Amino acid sequence: MKFITTNFLKCPIKTCDVSNDNYPLQYNGEKCELQQENIEYKPEFLIKILDRLDWEAVLSVAQDLGNTSLPSNKPQILDDGVEKDAILRDLHTLLLQTNIVEGEMKCKNCGHVYYIKNSIPNLLLPPHLA
Amino acid sequence: MLATPLYNCDYDRVYEPAEDSFLLLDSLESELSFLRSIFEKDNYFPIILEIGCGSGIVTTFLHQHAIPTNKGLYLPVDINPWAIDATLQTIKKNPPTKDLQTTTIVDPLLMDLVAGLKSNSVDLLVFNPPYVPAEAVPNLPPGTNDEGWLDLALLGGEDGLVVTNKLLNNLHNILSPKGVAYILFCARNKPQEIQLRMEGHGWKVDLIEKRKAGWEVLSVYKFQKIKTNF
Repeated sequence: MKFITTNFLKCPIKTCDVSNDNYPLQYNGEKCELQQENIEYKPEFLIKILDRLDWEAVLSVAQDLGNTSLPSNKPQILDDGVEKDAILRDLHTLLLQTNIVEGEMKCKNCGHVYYIKNSIPNLLLPPHLA
Repeated sequence: MLATPLYNCDYDRVYEPAEDSFLLLDSLESELSFLRSIFEKDNYFPIILEIGCGSGIVTTFLHQHAIPTNKGLYLPVDINPWAIDATLQTIKKNPPTKDLQTTTIVDPLLMDLVAGLKSNSVDLLVFNPPYVPAEAVPNLPPGTNDEGWLDLALLGGEDGLVVTNKLLNNLHNILSPKGVAYILFCARNKPQEIQLRMEGHGWKVDLIEKRKAGWEVLSVYKFQKIKTNF
């Protein structure tokens, strides 16, 4: 699963919907194995991708995975400055190229753990929780 | 006419593409200019969700032909782990051509409908549900290697609508403000009644394609939010 997808996943357990802690899931940095995949860098698209993302959740998952270098506010519409290009390149690497191949993620509300195997997150629930 | 993806899966465990799958592909192709008109604007980055991806033929078709546009996050979802494998392979077999210049991510998820998805995120939703009327919706097989995965792709409980209704009743929490959903029905689902019911709840509903397939009559409907009602 690519990092960007973590921005759209919450705990699938219905009773957690009343809580604010069901999103984003908490990733176990020690258990998560990351791989980089090559994707063409297109800064103009990246800005549009940022429009779709919850920045707090990006920060939270990045921190879980050991990346604490992101700006605390979402980078705004950017001019062509070199510095900003550097931020966009970092985000390209993080959001689109970083693949969580194996790992665990946990709901901060109910504590249920979900696994990622062969890059596929498993959000199915056991019958008593479904 | 757009090319149909190449596919080859284990049909003892994954639903083999049939008339319903192909009707869905034809519907999406006929909607191409409509979808582009919504999603090509301003370089918008759409989220595309297919529920019950099975062989992966539908998500692959969309991805391969840059539908709704040449960028986006494609999330094919299934409860069958064999379907997730099949989808990955079908995607791999049918890359988009270079001239489409796509920037896309395809991330298959093992999930029941949209249970683990953040609300109001989906821009394009496609669902070929288990629509065959049956006594009940089957339970998940206990193990990956057990039998019963195919039944899950077919049997839809009372009127064949138990799974579809679960989605329709929650559609306002699933789609983004731009969101549009394409859902397949058979005649025994009484899709015209569903259309009236959903229109009563403030949805714009259109019949996109209808076709006789053997003894079944299949149809694909489009659902969109009417903004004033939300």
